[in-house]
Amino acid sequence: MSDELRPTPDGLMASLTERAKELNCLYHVEEALRQGGATDETFMSLLRAIPPGWQYPDVCEARLTIEGRTLSLSGAEPAGGVLRADVVVQDEKVGVLEVFYTDDRPGEDDGPFLKEEVRLINTIAGLVSHFVLRLRLQDLQKDWEALRQGGGDTGGEIWRSPLHLLRESDRSLYLRIAHKILNYLCQIGVEEAQEMLAAASGVNGVNEEMSGEVNVPADRTAHDPDYLMSDAPFELASRYLSQTEVLTRVQNWMQEDKASSLLRVLNNPRSPLPEIVDAMRRFQHGIPDKRILRSSTLKTLRVSLTQRLLTEQIDFVRVTKENMEIEDFYDLTRRMIIPAGSHGRLGGKSAGMLLAHCILARSADEEHPVGEIKVPKTWYLPSDGLHDFIGHNDLQDVIEQKFREVEEIRQEYPDIVRLFKNSTFPTRVVNGLSVALDDFADVPLIVRSSSLLEDRLGTAFSGKYKSLFVANQGTKAERLEALADAIAEVYASTFGPDPIEYRRERGLLEFNEEMGILIQEVVGRKVGKYFFPAFAGVAFSNSEFRWSPRIQREDGLVRLVPGLGTRAVDRVSDDYPTLLVPGKPNLRANVAVDEVVRYSPHWIDVINLEAGTLETRNLADLVREVGADYPGLEKVFSSLRDGMLGKAPPRVLFDPEKTELVATFDGLAYSTPFIGHLNSMLDILEDKLDTPVDIEFAHDGEDFYLLQCRPQSRSDESAPAPIPKDVETRDIVFTADKYVTNGWVPDITNIVYVDPDAYGELGSREEMQEVARVVGRLNRLLPMKRFILLGPGRWGSRGDVKLGVSVTYADISNTAMLIEIARRKGDYVPDLSFGTHFFQDLVESRIRYLPLYPDEEGIVFNQHFLLGSPNLLAGMLPEFAHLEKVVRVIDVADATEGRLLRVLLNADLGEALAMLVDPTESAAEPAPTPEVTPRLPVQYWQWRLRMAERIAKEIDATRYGVVAIYIFGSTKNATAGPASDIDLLVHTRGDARQSAELLSWLDGWGRCLSEMNFLRTGYRTETLLDVHLVTDEDIANRTSYASKIGAVTDAARELPMGDG
Amino acid sequence: MASNGAYNAFEMARAQFDHIADLIGLDEGARAFLRTPQREFHFTIPVHMDDGTVQVFQGFRCQHNDARGPSKGGIRFHPQETIDTVRALSMWMTWKCAVVDIPLGGGKGGVICDPHNLSMREQEQICRGFARQLARNIGPVLDVPAPDVMTNAQHMLWMMDEFEEIQGGHFPGVITGKPVGMGGSLGRTEATGYGVVYTIREALKELNIRPNDTVAGVQGFGNVAQYAIELYTQMGGKVISVSCWDQKDQCAYVFRKMDGIDLPQLQSITDRFGGIDQAKAKDLGYEVLPGDVWIDQDVDILIPSALENSITAENVEKISKRVKIIAEGANGPTTPDADKVIHERGIHVIPDFLANAGGVTCSYFEQVQSNMNYFWEKDEVLGKLDVKMTAAYSAVSELARKQNMYMRDAAYVVSINRVAEACRQRGWI
Repeated sequence: MSDELRPTPDGLMASLTERAKELNCLYHVEEALRQGGATDETFMSLLRAIPPGWQYPDVCEARLTIEGRTLSLSGAEPAGGVLRADVVVQDEKVGVLEVFYTDDRPGEDDGPFLKEEVRLINTIAGLVSHFVLRLRLQDLQKDWEALRQGGGDTGGEIWRSPLHLLRESDRSLYLRIAHKILNYLCQIGVEEAQEMLAAASGVNGVNEEMSGEVNVPADRTAHDPDYLMSDAPFELASRYLSQTEVLTRVQNWMQEDKASSLLRVLNNPRSPLPEIVDAMRRFQHGIPDKRILRSSTLKTLRVSLTQRLLTEQIDFVRVTKENMEIEDFYDLTRRMIIPAGSHGRLGGKSAGMLLAHCILARSADEEHPVGEIKVPKTWYLPSDGLHDFIGHNDLQDVIEQKFREVEEIRQEYPDIVRLFKNSTFPTRVVNGLSVALDDFADVPLIVRSSSLLEDRLGTAFSGKYKSLFVANQGTKAERLEALADAIAEVYASTFGPDPIEYRRERGLLEFNEEMGILIQEVVGRKVGKYFFPAFAGVAFSNSEFRWSPRIQREDGLVRLVPGLGTRAVDRVSDDYPTLLVPGKPNLRANVAVDEVVRYSPHWIDVINLEAGTLETRNLADLVREVGADYPGLEKVFSSLRDGMLGKAPPRVLFDPEKTELVATFDGLAYSTPFIGHLNSMLDILEDKLDTPVDIEFAHDGEDFYLLQCRPQSRSDESAPAPIPKDVETRDIVFTADKYVTNGWVPDITNIVYVDPDAYGELGSREEMQEVARVVGRLNRLLPMKRFILLGPGRWGSRGDVKLGVSVTYADISNTAMLIEIARRKGDYVPDLSFGTHFFQDLVESRIRYLPLYPDEEGIVFNQHFLLGSPNLLAGMLPEFAHLEKVVRVIDVADATEGRLLRVLLNADLGEALAMLVDPTESAAEPAPTPEVTPRLPVQYWQWRLRMAERIAKEIDATRYGVVAIYIFGSTKNATAGPASDIDLLVHTRGDARQSAELLSWLDGWGRCLSEMNFLRTGYRTETLLDVHLVTDEDIANRTSYASKIGAVTDAARELPMGDG
Repeated sequence: MASNGAYNAFEMARAQFDHIADLIGLDEGARAFLRTPQREFHFTIPVHMDDGTVQVFQGFRCQHNDARGPSKGGIRFHPQETIDTVRALSMWMTWKCAVVDIPLGGGKGGVICDPHNLSMREQEQICRGFARQLARNIGPVLDVPAPDVMTNAQHMLWMMDEFEEIQGGHFPGVITGKPVGMGGSLGRTEATGYGVVYTIREALKELNIRPNDTVAGVQGFGNVAQYAIELYTQMGGKVISVSCWDQKDQCAYVFRKMDGIDLPQLQSITDRFGGIDQAKAKDLGYEVLPGDVWIDQDVDILIPSALENSITAENVEKISKRVKIIAEGANGPTTPDADKVIHERGIHVIPDFLANAGGVTCSYFEQVQSNMNYFWEKDEVLGKLDVKMTAAYSAVSELARKQNMYMRDAAYVVSINRVAEACRQRGWI
């Protein structure tokens, strides 16, 4: 970072020394006034404290004239010039403070005085003014107390003195209050009050029509201030009301008036954040008990505060209005780093966390206990901090970044990151960060984005912007630099290619992106050189994955991992978070011990404090290393011994070398109230926010910390697909109405249908196992995630192959959907597996699961289509032709003259529908985009095909001995994704040297195309070409890829070659 | 009973039995008796579910034959359990116990349920209900259950506890598969792998080959494979290849080192499922090859100890000419088609239910120890295991040699004959 961050210590020290005397003087003045009462002795102490602050203390004298009397230490007179400052209370001069030298002293800025001394005397006079005001208020208070203790009516007109004070100090407030009391008297039917009001406003009597519906502007009622400024209104009131009531009402109105001054600030769009914060502070101290305010006032304040401080999103405001208190907002402002003149907000992520915490803190009851919920200490940088930063460093050019081509953006992004990291923060922000760091001390921090776009309903930007861990170790200067660096990098991520692409896809590009920043302590414990929480996770109030029919969608789902939550939030291909259902904690996805062990987390993310990095460690190794110091060991781990999982041994008996531990979370689930609490939290939040939610949390072994709460993300998991009602029966392939999840399935080109009847009639176990092998082979041949598997009973059945095809996960890994068919047998419908044999694999790879009950009433199961369409099996796998009756491979386009199969899943309705559609029909809106296959698939194959055609045109056929060149796979099928390669089949008659040269020529292309693809998509591959050379002999024998030429399904297409 | 020709496990087991009965020339009475379980129990287990409802589960127990001793066999929790499956499996248990000549008969049991739909408490209720229903028909001298599909040591302890509650005493011999310290036996983890190698050692002796001169290829790197390699290496043999499943790549790889793998070294880079770290293996000088080449290695001994149906008609031809012994550590690694080819090539096969009988033998030892309430040290268990496996192998091999019979057939002949003989001696048939 720049030098601006590093104040020069020498300079600072010098200026501090200069000011030390002055500050010391001020300190003593304040002490004198704070401790003193309403006596002259207080003022004498004050006078004693003043001379040491002046340049020549020995000959310096102070004199105070106040309320008619003059006080002086020695009575000495000035020898030369005198410094004077008035003491003013509520616009009234009540005294004067003088400082002078009793002996001549040389001239300075102002006579013998320094300009700093002029400032100092003014400051001191200000302090004296406040002191006098305080004394007066104390008197008022005493009257008040006397009134209260005197029992009200008997104490005479005690209301007079405070109201007089008010009238003197704040005319306009006095007027408003006078008006209010008259209005009140009118309400209770005091006619004189009506007259008085009329007199004051110059209208004869109360105009009844005023309260009716009149379509002309009402007369502007001009008050006669002088009339109301008299005691008359209150004298009238004291005739009809008790003394206590008058004073209580006056007090309440005065406090309400403070609320309206806050409202005025909030409602003024020009008032910057510092002013709002200031107004809040006054409000907070002025009205200690908010109950006296009308609930409508409070709601208005909450709405305005939400809009100004958090977010303007309407759904959100609606909820905060009911669930957050003014105190919550006030607490928030105390940890805000506010850039000068800021009008920013904190953004969705901050808002979600705060709101959830407030809701849970207030809504938990005996029926819904949630335990103690903490939120990690957090500092906030409002959303316009980004623009402040950009302006401060003249980086305005980056704003236009978003309108460039994605290739350009990707190319320039590293430079932007570098540029941002080399920029400086405005001093105000740097000072704020410095204060924040003092508050945090040296716990590791996470810098998270909280963009105004983020966490909006339907636009989950989860993971699009950066969150960075900062180890926060070392000297203060080092920590400050690292923190500023991280913030700069998070800022830069706003201009990264992926978020811009994502916004472009959703039409949010023009939205002026502002990015709030949360600086949050990482929840966890320091263990050795590591820092991590006992566990962390993400919980959903609606579960899109169920492994048992006993589990309802509303039972929710939680993904738990040991250590930092990064592994629970993202899907990880080589590891499994532990799944628990908060509503049915006793039902577990994995039951057999080997299943439990296999599908348990094996890796852990931790912060290495020494290296200052985020590390992924092998869990077993880490536990061996840290042993019983692992926080909350017994909550996370079970011990595995002799094929049995049991409680982790007590600390004293724990030997990390000898005990095999498995992260099961059994201790947490069954020996603590955690799951019950979590379930209540999800229930409460879903209820209050009126939408399914997901929350992120972490636990340090002792306490639960809420990290985030937002409407349950629809885009990455699932969104309910609208189910059309006017589909012709002949276009329906199947429907389902049980255990339907929400889910997005790409359009399907192929169906693999294992006919339940034919499978059941197979004569031997070997034949049934062959079916599994056929499925495994098809899994590799068919276009990835573009085919679905339908089969009888339990996919993956291990013991009894008769009950279902005994595939392993590897045999089905590329399918888009796994469908189990339960056909009625007599009066009995068999149980289905719900994919339990590889449930977690399905979850992690987003393979949708659906059970079909074809024999139930109202269900369509188009057996005619499934059995009547041409079967491609024999053509694709001739060696398994004898299983043709059992395994049917349907090319949907071939069977339906170019149509596709679309599967719509809607858990909200509990309905699923698979229908044939024309490829031109756009996907049902609002079809969300799953992370793995972003929309706009068109682009991906189109330019790939163009490039393949280009290659074919450019190829020097004679030189390399090329006969023909073919394209197949995803580019040909128009299904290519961002990471797809281009499958080329080259028929050659060249010799080995020619072939080698050809491959080398193509390799050059492949690498170039790969770079192009990277710039477009961000997917890094070594080469984009997958080239297969085939010879005449291959074609004659139809071996390997040669079989693609003239194949039954997915045949390779010849590309026109140039003249070379 | 299936009549439409569809696959039925019990029909299969009977067909296999009939084939051997023909070889032995078993009389009709004996056939009729052995084709059907001696006793079957069908019963219901009512369970109060967590949600307050009552659900009734169907349970079975088959005691196929107890002429040679108490019935022995697992209890399965399976959602589509059928009595025919349980019958077939109980028959297989009879033959399996007889082939290693342990004094136990064959049994099997099951409950129709899917543990994925059940809480642990509900499963405990099923286990206790099972034990209550069968309290008079199981026991250390009657029928001894064990863990099986979807049941584990915990289930066994619940059943044992319920049984002991009812009987009013301690009877750890009523069940096997218990943890050490709760009536379990030491040596259990080593038993199957070591058992495989005891039979290999005996086979090599017969073939007059010194273990030091042999090279082996192992499919798999799980529990069985690792202990088999440990003992085989101790004997002087050299393993040049192992294979394992890669969870991330969703396929298997072979790890090969021509001058012999170093077991402890490989174990140090292996997770608890037998998955070997590819990168580290490469650093240590191992070749990483596609998973299907485990079968074409140039070795004397092949030990398939991973999956069913690993040797098929498609890859059986790839088996190297050098291979002299195939020891089936896994269950059913060879398909019938492939088995024919192996038979024709004259490779010496140690069939699965003999080669991997170390496991059931150790269960027997557990029961013996439980009955006398005195538990042996590991060495003692493994020593006794060696004696049993050696004797079992010799009996089968001797028959095969004398009658020029295929090893697999010989194993069944020995075992079925032993059972039939016991029935005869008791005067049942």
